[in-house]
Amino acid sequence: MAPVSPSFRDPAGRCFIFHQRVLRFVTTDALAAFEQFLQSDCARRSLAQQKLAGTRRLNDAEAAQLRENPELRSIWDEPSLGAVFEHERLSFRSYPHEWPPEMLWAAGALTLDLGRAALSEGFGLKDATPHNILFRGSEPVFIDALSFEPRHPADPIWLPEAQFIRTFLLPLLAQHRWGIPLADVFTTHRDGLEPEAVYRLCGPLEKFTPRMLALVSIPTWLSRKSARNEARLYRPRRLANAEKARFILESLFRRLERALRALEPAKHRDSTWSNYMSRHSYDEPAFAAKEKFVAEVLREFQPARVLDAGANTGHFSALAAETGAEVVAVDADAACVGAIWRRACEKKLNILPLVVNLARPSPALGWRYGECPSFLERAAGAFDGVLMLAVIHHLLVTERIPLEEILRLVGELTRSWVVLEWIEPEDEMFRHLTRGRDSLHASLTVSVFERACSACFDIVRSLPLPGTQRRMYCLKRKDRGR
Amino acid sequence: MKFIVLAYIDPGLGALLWQTIVAAFVGLLFYLKKTRQWIVDSVLKLFGRRRDAKATPVGPKAARKESKIEVP
Repeated sequence: MAPVSPSFRDPAGRCFIFHQRVLRFVTTDALAAFEQFLQSDCARRSLAQQKLAGTRRLNDAEAAQLRENPELRSIWDEPSLGAVFEHERLSFRSYPHEWPPEMLWAAGALTLDLGRAALSEGFGLKDATPHNILFRGSEPVFIDALSFEPRHPADPIWLPEAQFIRTFLLPLLAQHRWGIPLADVFTTHRDGLEPEAVYRLCGPLEKFTPRMLALVSIPTWLSRKSARNEARLYRPRRLANAEKARFILESLFRRLERALRALEPAKHRDSTWSNYMSRHSYDEPAFAAKEKFVAEVLREFQPARVLDAGANTGHFSALAAETGAEVVAVDADAACVGAIWRRACEKKLNILPLVVNLARPSPALGWRYGECPSFLERAAGAFDGVLMLAVIHHLLVTERIPLEEILRLVGELTRSWVVLEWIEPEDEMFRHLTRGRDSLHASLTVSVFERACSACFDIVRSLPLPGTQRRMYCLKRKDRGR
Repeated sequence: MKFIVLAYIDPGLGALLWQTIVAAFVGLLFYLKKTRQWIVDSVLKLFGRRRDAKATPVGPKAARKESKIEVP
């Protein structure tokens, strides 16, 4: 059976992830234009700057080898198949429903940047969706080179403008204006927010503010009026003067850039957990001991890939990234994750920050759940080590997840070790979360925790943090005969 | 070059119509800009000739002025 394609809407080709390789099958009709784009200066420049994911055509020998695989037979047998390309594989895929607003904003900026650069060489983007973007650490990378197509020089219209507004500007606007999380938008709406949906949220006067008029109100009013002339509207337009068409398009891109700039997320967004590092319950020696413990484990295991679960503003993610690890930092608080992204960009750290709540991780989405696999599917066994610092009490108390279940999940995520901070029920923060339900958790003693660990892990070492009710553990996964 | 229409995404209805209206307006600006450019060019050309006819500035000050213009 052929693998499920995560990208199949474009009639010019389909993309498959096949044994950790990203393969793109391009149709005969689209092949010449695609190769022409890959030869263009803007494609070469974007590839050199790593803004565009690496792409190469498979040679005959490589293609013949793939052709023999029965799983791909049905794709090879398609008469429209022109050639097969292989893309660079980015190590951890992430999706707009897992990004903080900062990352959606950066993805939008890259889309406009590449779209505008391609115009000068006669190419244009045929779609403008955040699903064309993945992140290499904190850097956005455009992964869908097939999105570029030759443009008629006299065409003054950019058809994907509405999609850019739906999938970048309106979700950012809804997040900025009404605090609607991007996860709420993108888990339920693949193609973002329609202007009509945002229009319904606006107050009577707000509909007339300049920003709402251009992005929301006028498109909504026009869509009601223009239904009669629809066929004429969609007819391709060609101006007599190509210079004029270019002038109009340049102006359109400038307008979109201005609109995006106006929606740039604020640098310091406050949330429940965004100031945790400045007002946590550790005193200086306890925090230094915790830091030293984590640093020693990182030095000892030299991990290539680390998951920081409950990363807050990314202090320990940065520590791991500074030792050379590739870090995926997850936290449920979008403001914290945005702060990690800014820190990673500023310090050029290899950290991919994602808004993920481990108790309700991102589900699989899309057609036959094949377009966006769930977070756990992508993360299972993908990390050499997992940091779980000051997070277990949230899962135990707030989410009411049994201790054994938490440890089982951590055992599935890591290939080797875990650094876990155990918080005893007497701890100030633990009691803050229990809100009087102390008796429910009174049995969670250190010995109970250590016994639960023994099912999946060996305790390498542990360290009580001075002056606290907390203890650091380094756990090593038991070999299950793999 | 072959132009195949493979833009498969939903171009919207109101948003596309709004883009078309704005494009028409920006198209007018294009002609205004062209006309303005033509007028400015003509005037400069006229004054440039007169200035040439009067005297060509010489010396280090003039050279500095010139180099300033040339630097992008």
